[in-house]
Amino acid sequence: MRRKGWTGIVLLALWAVCGFDPAWAGVPTEKIKETTDKILVIVSDPALKDPSQAAQRRERIRKTVDEMCDWEEMSRRALGRHWAKRNEQERKEFVRLFGQLLERTYVDKVEGYSGEKVNYTGERVDGDYAEVDVKIVTKEKTEIPVVYKLRNKDQRWWVYDIVVEGVSLVNNYRTQFSDIMAKSSFEGLMQKLREKSAE
Amino acid sequence: MRKFNIEFTVGLFVIAGILCLAYLSIKLGGMELIGSRGYDVYALFSNSGGLKQGSSVVIAGVEVGRIRNVDLDDYQARIVMNLNEEVKLQEDAIAAIKTKGLIGEKFIEITPGASEKIIPPGGKIRETLPPVDFEQLLSKYVFGKVE
Repeated sequence: MRRKGWTGIVLLALWAVCGFDPAWAGVPTEKIKETTDKILVIVSDPALKDPSQAAQRRERIRKTVDEMCDWEEMSRRALGRHWAKRNEQERKEFVRLFGQLLERTYVDKVEGYSGEKVNYTGERVDGDYAEVDVKIVTKEKTEIPVVYKLRNKDQRWWVYDIVVEGVSLVNNYRTQFSDIMAKSSFEGLMQKLREKSAE
Repeated sequence: MRKFNIEFTVGLFVIAGILCLAYLSIKLGGMELIGSRGYDVYALFSNSGGLKQGSSVVIAGVEVGRIRNVDLDDYQARIVMNLNEEVKLQEDAIAAIKTKGLIGEKFIEITPGASEKIIPPGGKIRETLPPVDFEQLLSKYVFGKVE
């Protein structure tokens, strides 16, 4: 039960950030707020609730995710020091598989949304980096603190990490990937990711 | 002559004892007498979780440095770490405050990143994670549910 709740929250966090409209060019919080609202519209759209529309809804969400999340930066950070040793092709493949893994883990659980509210509580900008503090309030009035980490690249803010309750998405995968790499190899890790996405 | 010898020997032993005591207290206290080797970096945490001066900084479980100072900076915890010279931290390394076991002492764990930029002496570790408050988490999920 607890696990389910968590995935829902992480998912919500991911959506909230990942529906980015390139036309915006304001402060990071503003962007995240607008994005969240946009995503909430997609998930609560009754026309898309029908099971036959599931694929289309997923497609729309994935599209907004792609527009916003800096997948390469996220993957690079998640792979950590092993990134430098990989060639261009391996990196591309890894970014693709890692994106699929995140999609499967979080975007698949779209149905988990049940009227949580999102409050914006703070923002810190430091040069090309920014952090946006958000509190997600569940129906049971439990507050879940979420921090979005953004980076300014080509005059746009891109999200590269999401921290929920002090647990970082990138650090979580970084530890796991480094464990897998220590036990097997990069090829072993890719194989595991491929199996996951084929499931 | 003989008397002098005994007094001299006792004196030697006393001095040796004091030196041993001084050595022990410096070693056990984690103090460093002649400056410290390595270099300093700092990081800002939203919560230090009671981290203390002298706590260890580890990478992959291996101690690579110690906490030099903890103080408040704009309502955030500013933690200065002294790291061994040979340890290089990438700009996107993540510093997380962890607890040994469930209620053990706090320490900082660093997971190395992918960036080619290295944090210079006196630089800042940007990516930080506060300790996870198990008690608060538990109470949220124990008392939060009204179903």
